[in-house]
Amino acid sequence: MRHVLIFIFLLACPTHSITAQDVDNSEVERFQLAESLLQAGQFDRAIPMLKELLASSPGTHVFYERLRQAYEEVKRYDEAIALVEDQMSRASSPEVFLVEKGRLQFLAGMETNARATWDSVLARQPASPSVYLMVYRSLLQVRLFDIAIEVLEKGRRKIGNADLFQTDLAQLYALTSRLDKAVEEYLGLLEGNPGQLSFVKSRLGPYMTDSSSIQSAVPPVESAVARDPLNRSYRELLSMLYVELERYEDAYQVVQAIDRLEKEEGAMLFSFAQTAADGGAWNVAVNAFEEVLRRYPSSPASPDALRGLGVMQEMWATELDERMKPDSSRIHYSAALATYERFMIDYPQHTHVPDVLTRMGRLQQDVLGDLESAERILSEVTARYPGTRAADEAAFSLGKLAIMTDRLTDARIRFTRLVTRLRTGDLADASRLELAQLHFYQGQFDAAVALAEAMQENSFSDVSNDAIGLKVLINESKGPDSLNTALRRFARAELERRQRNTDHAVMTLNFLIDEFGDHPIIDNARFLRAGLLADLGQTDDAMQAYLEIPLIHPMSFFGDRSLFQAAVLARDHVGDPDRAIELFERLLTDYPRSLLTSDARMAIRVLRGEQV
Amino acid sequence: MRALVTWITLSVVLSVPRIASSQDLLVPMDNSQTDHLKAYGIVYWALERTVEVDWLLNYRGGSFLMPSSGEVISELRVRGVSYESLSASAAARTMAEVQSEDANTSVVRLEKPPEIAVYAPDQTLPWDDAVLLALTYAEVPYEMIYDEEVLAGDLGRYDWLHLHHEDFTGQYGKFFNYRSTAWYIEQQREAELAARRAGFRKVPDMKAAVAEEIKAYVGEGGFLFAMCSGTDTFDIALAASGTDIVPAEYDNDPIDPDALSNLDFSKTLAFENFRPIFNAREYEHSNIDSGPPPPQLRNPAVDYFTLFEFSAKYDPVPTMLTQNHVATIKGFIGQTTNFRKSVIKPNVVILAEAPGRDEVRYLNGTYGQGTFTFYGGHDPEDYQHFVGEEPTDLSLHKHSPGYRLILNNILFPAAKKKKQKT
Repeated sequence: MRHVLIFIFLLACPTHSITAQDVDNSEVERFQLAESLLQAGQFDRAIPMLKELLASSPGTHVFYERLRQAYEEVKRYDEAIALVEDQMSRASSPEVFLVEKGRLQFLAGMETNARATWDSVLARQPASPSVYLMVYRSLLQVRLFDIAIEVLEKGRRKIGNADLFQTDLAQLYALTSRLDKAVEEYLGLLEGNPGQLSFVKSRLGPYMTDSSSIQSAVPPVESAVARDPLNRSYRELLSMLYVELERYEDAYQVVQAIDRLEKEEGAMLFSFAQTAADGGAWNVAVNAFEEVLRRYPSSPASPDALRGLGVMQEMWATELDERMKPDSSRIHYSAALATYERFMIDYPQHTHVPDVLTRMGRLQQDVLGDLESAERILSEVTARYPGTRAADEAAFSLGKLAIMTDRLTDARIRFTRLVTRLRTGDLADASRLELAQLHFYQGQFDAAVALAEAMQENSFSDVSNDAIGLKVLINESKGPDSLNTALRRFARAELERRQRNTDHAVMTLNFLIDEFGDHPIIDNARFLRAGLLADLGQTDDAMQAYLEIPLIHPMSFFGDRSLFQAAVLARDHVGDPDRAIELFERLLTDYPRSLLTSDARMAIRVLRGEQV
Repeated sequence: MRALVTWITLSVVLSVPRIASSQDLLVPMDNSQTDHLKAYGIVYWALERTVEVDWLLNYRGGSFLMPSSGEVISELRVRGVSYESLSASAAARTMAEVQSEDANTSVVRLEKPPEIAVYAPDQTLPWDDAVLLALTYAEVPYEMIYDEEVLAGDLGRYDWLHLHHEDFTGQYGKFFNYRSTAWYIEQQREAELAARRAGFRKVPDMKAAVAEEIKAYVGEGGFLFAMCSGTDTFDIALAASGTDIVPAEYDNDPIDPDALSNLDFSKTLAFENFRPIFNAREYEHSNIDSGPPPPQLRNPAVDYFTLFEFSAKYDPVPTMLTQNHVATIKGFIGQTTNFRKSVIKPNVVILAEAPGRDEVRYLNGTYGQGTFTFYGGHDPEDYQHFVGEEPTDLSLHKHSPGYRLILNNILFPAAKKKKQKT
């Protein structure tokens, strides 16, 4: 049936002057047999049959086509070429056969002849676009991209139309790693049809693999923008290239222009600002966010931009580790807070309000230490927006705030309510851990262990791991008296640390160490004390405290950690790299199985000035 | 190569071991070692500083003995390689024990750090290379070379050459399904340009010429180590040199109708009487590879292969190549995983095989003055490495027996006294 359809198709084809009478039934049967032989790879048997068929019906194109294919399959290129020439001699317009002949000559290794043949096709009809396309497709088949480019470019010149073959040439240039030329072609396409931008972007995407090729594509697009500043697609393409090259400042200028010219009311700028923030181009992102706010204060993009600016300032602060810096140096955290405050003034009814308020409360609590303001803000969220995720997060933060201000009963109530209401999820688990820790701080160790045990199911989560740590600490540190006095003192010191009462925590630990020098919890206590001394800026005391631990408790879990922390202090605060190397090496020698060995090795190499 | 084997044999049996210094360091390679892979890097590092190292074959997993110094100890600590300090008398006792006629152990002196070349393109391809990972993790220096350098005759500068997931048949790894991806397009384009620059009309012709250059390098005394499809495609390309076995999907013209009868197995190193696969869409080059294990065994928990044990005193080469702290190694799959036994040439030494199956995992042979080692599979610590997956983090596999086999190979040339290229 398929072959009958082929014949019908061929009959309908005006270029082939055959008629239905040319093919009789016996020929169809023989042709089908030849086809079967071809499919079975029996070319030697198929070829004579096809030759006979073609001889008896020389005008039947499909006989010719199959015979040529068969010759090609067995690499009998000379016979294939002769066949094509024979067909050509019968045809009124031989271009298609000449093109085929050129390809066969190339496959036969006669490259010069092939080029001459292709050239001769072009010379026959130098003003016909379809002839250039025929030759180009033939060249594409044998992957002669550079010559294909020459052919199409020649066609343009001869025909006098610079817009011809744009997408074909663009693809060829991209394939040959000439992205600048490819972009020039696509610009031509966009000139007539800016709606093709998505197509152009998708075509260029796979070839934008290295910065040098992307860079090469920039100048033509810049020129196009200068030439036709009102063509939005040019500008969008240019901004895409700039972003790929991480030239955010340049991209910003382009996006500014688009937003202004196209009356986007800040939507384009806002989207770009987020892209720049994700790329860590903080200053550019700030400018873009602020421009939205300045130019379009009443547009829908404005509240998003204001909130986005605050979130971005928090991200920037995190990258700079501002939490570890003095208050005066927490510039971006302060900026984030100011931005959120502005949001509350400008958009007090916006849907972002609960989220913004929660962020403000957390900043006040965790970073700026203004617990009173934090409590006021977070309470407002829980009161005004009950049942929202923001309200739950605010309630959790309020529980932590109650611990910090020594209102443990209040904290317990808040966490219990959260656990009861949420039951599952990250916030519920975190609340359970807080409850376990509250029991621990208050000396209710059995209750703390019971809660911690209930949370051990998912050991991949940080919360579960913290719960396991708490359980192990309690189980290994009970006694010597029935009141577990040593553990109570340690729990008290932990609570004081959490409440930022560092001096008191150190005093509590000093008492503990003096009174229970042989207790299993003492190495924990010494390690905690050393860390607190470091927090207080007492570096020498902290170093000494760390170095005592492996001497007094050589088998302790904290031995390697203490050496590591002492080495870090020597490196970062004392400025003594030799001492740091000595301590890192001591860690490697004394604790060869420590989990910190790879970090210590890396630190030694960096300190030795090696390229790591 | 015969000269090399003779020399190593003599050095093993007759040479007087290094006189024990006042104190020596034993780097144990049994289960007590904290980082088996970095240990090879330490040996290389020591050889670079003209410290002679004795490789104690079959002694505690193939341990190393070297003179002690503060610098060496510091480096061992920094790299996390465990060691034992031996007094002069203890070191002498150890050497005597290793050289005892009663034990299947021996000593090979390592003298010179081999110059290592890795055959790989500059282009970043979306899969990892186990040898590059091993060399990088062990901190063993290497240089990258590719077709242009090989054809320019640069191989003579190196003692050891590595091939990995390469396709010497010029079919771009038969990644036909990926032909529209940027990396495939770039790979094909780069290969075509390289072929043209080198005067070849087609990529398969250039790859065959590269394979022949590499074969000549081995013949002149080079050490060739290949993994995954770098093994079988190498021999396929040699056998098919001069005939077209590449389907039109890859080189734009059909295979030679007489391709099968034109194959010349006398040109190959390890395999014979194999049959290339001409289907462009089948992700397999020939029947040399027996493919992954049968479905019931295609499971990292049950798939493994076993190393053969050789006489350390009389078969030092295969003994060196199979040093390990375990005799059974977990399997791993690659484009080429296991070599079908029936197509392996009779003069090739089988180093490891999959038990109960007629499949070889690891083999070694000689050609001219040099030697070749083929190791099936892609990544010893990633059972089935897929395109685009993250490379394996070897710091999580410091004791990998599969990776140890790779690193045994780089020390093998260090045992050679000097280049014996004719």
